[in-house]
Amino acid sequence: MRELLAALFNLLIFPGLGFLFVCAMAFEWGDRRLIARFQGRVGPPWYQPFADLIKLLAKEDILPNDAEETTAAVLPMLSLAAVLTAALYVPVAGYAPLSFEGDLIVVLFLLSLPTLAHFLAGWVTVGVYSILGGNRSLLQFFSYEVPFLMALSTPAIFNGSWTIAEITARQTVWNIFILPLAFLVALVGLIGKLKRDPLDIPKAKSEMVAGPLTEFSGRKLALWRLSMDMQTVVGVFLLVNLFSGGASMLAPLAFVFKALAILALLSTASVLYARLRIDQLAHLGWRVLAPLALLQLLVTVWMGG
Amino acid sequence: MVRFRSSLLPEALHTLLRRPGTVQYPFGPAELQEGYRGRVMAHGERCKGCSLCVRDCPAFALELERNGKEHYRLIYHPDRCAYCGQCEQSCRFDCIYLTNEFVPGTADLETLSVVLVDHKPAEE
Amino acid sequence: MTKVTIPIGPQHPLLKEPLSFLLTVEGEQVLESTLRLGYVHRGIERLCQERTYVQAVHLIERVCGICSHIHTTTYCQGVEALSGLQVPPRGLYLRTFLCELERIHSHLLWLGVLAKNMGFDTVFMYAWRDREIVLDVMEELSGGRISHAVNVIGGVRIDLDAAHTRSIQQRFDELERQVEKALALINNEPSLKARTQGVGLLSAEQVARYCVVGPVARASGVDVDLRRDFPRPPYDQLKFNVITHPAGDVWARTLVRVQEIRESLSLCRQILAQLPDGPTSVAMKRRVPPGEVVSRSEAPRGEVIYYIRSDGSDKPARLKIRTPTLTALITLADQLRGVNVADVPVVLSGVDLCIACADR
Repeated sequence: MRELLAALFNLLIFPGLGFLFVCAMAFEWGDRRLIARFQGRVGPPWYQPFADLIKLLAKEDILPNDAEETTAAVLPMLSLAAVLTAALYVPVAGYAPLSFEGDLIVVLFLLSLPTLAHFLAGWVTVGVYSILGGNRSLLQFFSYEVPFLMALSTPAIFNGSWTIAEITARQTVWNIFILPLAFLVALVGLIGKLKRDPLDIPKAKSEMVAGPLTEFSGRKLALWRLSMDMQTVVGVFLLVNLFSGGASMLAPLAFVFKALAILALLSTASVLYARLRIDQLAHLGWRVLAPLALLQLLVTVWMGG
Repeated sequence: MVRFRSSLLPEALHTLLRRPGTVQYPFGPAELQEGYRGRVMAHGERCKGCSLCVRDCPAFALELERNGKEHYRLIYHPDRCAYCGQCEQSCRFDCIYLTNEFVPGTADLETLSVVLVDHKPAEE
Repeated sequence: MTKVTIPIGPQHPLLKEPLSFLLTVEGEQVLESTLRLGYVHRGIERLCQERTYVQAVHLIERVCGICSHIHTTTYCQGVEALSGLQVPPRGLYLRTFLCELERIHSHLLWLGVLAKNMGFDTVFMYAWRDREIVLDVMEELSGGRISHAVNVIGGVRIDLDAAHTRSIQQRFDELERQVEKALALINNEPSLKARTQGVGLLSAEQVARYCVVGPVARASGVDVDLRRDFPRPPYDQLKFNVITHPAGDVWARTLVRVQEIRESLSLCRQILAQLPDGPTSVAMKRRVPPGEVVSRSEAPRGEVIYYIRSDGSDKPARLKIRTPTLTALITLADQLRGVNVADVPVVLSGVDLCIACADR
């Protein structure tokens, strides 16, 4: 009975649904506020992401006539479910009640499901912008995913375990200092996965209106946005764990500080660059990021990780 | 984009540390210049009823109602007004002018049109 | 691969004004494009025939929001030529001061719009923040930020005093610093150069064939600028450079326009320094003698031409406006052939669309 209650607490409150929801809203607000201040604007108040979600829930939910309604309804839920499940295995300040052997691989697999759902979403809601945006989503996936996986495997090889909690615990010096190239590639890969500026090519507002999600509205769009916000949280937590772990991880304050620092890095990257073209992204992914990640991997293996 | 060096970083950091350029209106201040072309008003006593302003208004926002040589009214329609200031330019008697009032709307259609000048003959 | 038709407009986040482009796309490459105009046609030329010359000034100002002053300047020049009026020198200098201020404002607005359509939101915010300096000066001078209503037939209705001139000069110093930073950004920022170089190419021969004018022509190496080629006072007393660039792509157009901001700032400073004394306008007669006149001037987007015919009454008999955006729109069919879909916003923004001008 006690285990049942503890499991429910982990799933629904911490580090599950409730905690992730609060973090997702806080991260979106922090990101938008920092970008606004960089651009010389005031920025939204603290309750803005929450207000946007409530507003979307109240809007009409329509789809084109030719769209497949059931698939279109299931896809945002699938995306959200994948992100929430992945979040269960990422330790928060050293607390990982559900971690098991090899959970890094499961987390990486689960985190790639939202991108596929994004592409399918464009496919089932037929519309010119949706289909083209979905194509771009898949192209972008192929460009950044391989370097991203290589970069995230490097700490695993170096610290000798495929369990995230173990990697975190075994770092004496933060991995960001020993494996800087891997951190850089992982950061750029995360920007691509989250489809943030400057890699928001699938949903480029000036070309594709809103990409694969153009025809979504109302509750479905609210679920999509929530899943993207939570993906940001999980991605940031993953990077914090893999690259700046160690004994100090146990202090929650240090964890929060590190997470906010990585979020600040993501926001700064949003501000500083223009959006890339899809062929420029392919060039970046395969000719720059992949060799860097491979180099770092080889160096790690040679160092005897 | 092979190099990650950005020439925008110094300016971005500088802007981060400065006050933002936008104001949270209506909770913040919003001052208008003195010469801002806003709502039209008139000094009723100086009006001679020559109707130059009516003739020159490009939006037909002014109307002169006549009841005889000394009895006339000048009516102003803010919904048609383009706030161009031509009436102020055309008036030779320094009567009609533009204030810098920014929000000249009302919620009631009856009170929208305003009588600027109400000239009646002198009582005998 | 199958061909898809992507509609850009009439409603699209990319466009500020309604315009309809139908792009035939295969994969990521644009094959053909069809253009439809007329969504903002208001019939201003016909409406002007129903209004007096004095009323028509304000209607003409609303042909375009960004280049409103230059439209009224060209119109007033034409009517003054028909009436035989001589605008006093102070009036001419003040008119030109506002023309050059409007050029700065238009180019800064365009820089922001290009950056936004490229996905570079930060440059958009910075350019429009610097544009506020110019808008504040225009508001102090004329009472409105975008619609100035400064021109009257026979001169201008505003005036400047010495204290105001000094405060304007100080703000110009700050604007100059920001423009230098913008130029450094355009010359050095790798992501911006990657998006704009080699995109939207127009050769000098195409410019001559389509009769393109303005910064688009100057960015393809064609040296044409009405202010220098047919100098009306006070341009004959002022020194400035005409900026050209041989490349012919969107990056060249960006360079040309931002350097033109620098030239316009220098022109504004010269005007403030050389401002002659005297009245600012002369009285106009209500009825204009019969005749016809062609009046031209250099708007921020190129050469704008007005044809005015009068029949002796107080209303124009015919008014015809040729705006520079129309020439640039015709070249878009050539520019869009063979580009990436991702380059379409950059190409469309590069020609500085002002559909309200083109549709009248």
